[in-house]
Amino acid sequence: MKELLSNINKAFESRVRLGIMSVLIVNTQADFRTLRDTLEVTDGNLATHLRALEEAGYITSEKRFLNKKPNTVYRITSEGTESFRNHINALEELIKHK
Amino acid sequence: MKENDQPLDDIKTIKKIMEQSARFISLSGLSGISAGIIAIAGAVTARIIINGPVIHKWYYSPALDFTEDNRRTIILLLINAAAVLALAVSSAVWFSWRKAGRSGNRIWTPVTGRLLLNLSVPLLAGALFILLTPGRLDGGMIAAATIIFYGLGLVNAAKFTLGEIFWLGIMEIITGLACLVMPGWAFIFWVFGFGILHIAYGVFMYLKYKG
Repeated sequence: MKELLSNINKAFESRVRLGIMSVLIVNTQADFRTLRDTLEVTDGNLATHLRALEEAGYITSEKRFLNKKPNTVYRITSEGTESFRNHINALEELIKHK
Repeated sequence: MKENDQPLDDIKTIKKIMEQSARFISLSGLSGISAGIIAIAGAVTARIIINGPVIHKWYYSPALDFTEDNRRTIILLLINAAAVLALAVSSAVWFSWRKAGRSGNRIWTPVTGRLLLNLSVPLLAGALFILLTPGRLDGGMIAAATIIFYGLGLVNAAKFTLGEIFWLGIMEIITGLACLVMPGWAFIFWVFGFGILHIAYGVFMYLKYKG
C-alpha cells in the first residue's frame, strides 16, 4: 500500500487543483475566467491554488490585456503534464487494488 | 464520503472536467433529426418553387435559368434557403440547450466558440466558392459543393465535439462527390446528405447517448 501511495502527489490533493490540471492538460491554454467558470470556484480560492501550482512549477502564467482589461492565461508545463499523468495512474492503481 | 471512495471520485471528477473543457458534449441527437426533417421539407419546397406543384420525374434535378424573368423564383428560393438555415440552426441550438440544462452542463464555453469557428471556415469557403465561380454553376454542381464543404466543416469541427461527427462528415463528403459524378440526381443526393444522413445520425446518437 505504501508503494501505491508514493505516486499520489500531495500537490494535487485539493479538488480545485485537480480541476485546474484537468482543464490545462486537454487545452493548450485557459484564462482565469474560463477556469473559474468551469470549476465553479471563487476568485480568491482559484488564485490561491493557481499560485501554489505555479510555485511547484506545474503551470505557467502570462499576464496580458484583453480590451484593456487584465487577463491572465495559464498553461501546463511538461513537468506538470508528467506529474499529473503519474498522479492519475496512481489513482487508477489504488482503485484496482482496493 | 468514505475515505475509500476518494480515488474513484477524483478520477470521475478529472474525466468530467476534461470532457467538459475540451469537447462540446451537449449536442443532442434530436438536433440531427430535426435538421434532417427541415432539410427535406426545404428541398421539396425548392422543387415546387422551380417546377410547380406537379412534378414529372421528381427525382431528376431541375434546371434553373438565371435570367431576368426568373427573379421572382430566385428570390423565393433565397427566402426558402434562409428559412431552412434559420429553422435548422435554431432547432439544433434549442435541443442542445435542453440537453445541456438537463445534464447540468453549460452550452456556451470557449470550446463552443472553437467548434463554431472550425465548422464555419469550410462553410464560408464553400459559400464563396459557389458565389465566385466565374460563369455559373449548374444545380447539380451547387448541390454537390454544399454537401462536400459541409462535410469538410464537420470533419474539421469533430475534434471539439463527439467523435461520431467525424464519420458523419466523411459520409457527407462521399455523398457530395457521388453527386458530382451524377449531377442529374442532385435532388436525391441533397435529400440524402442533408436529410436522411442527419436523421439516421440523430437516431443513432439519441439511442447511444440517451439524449
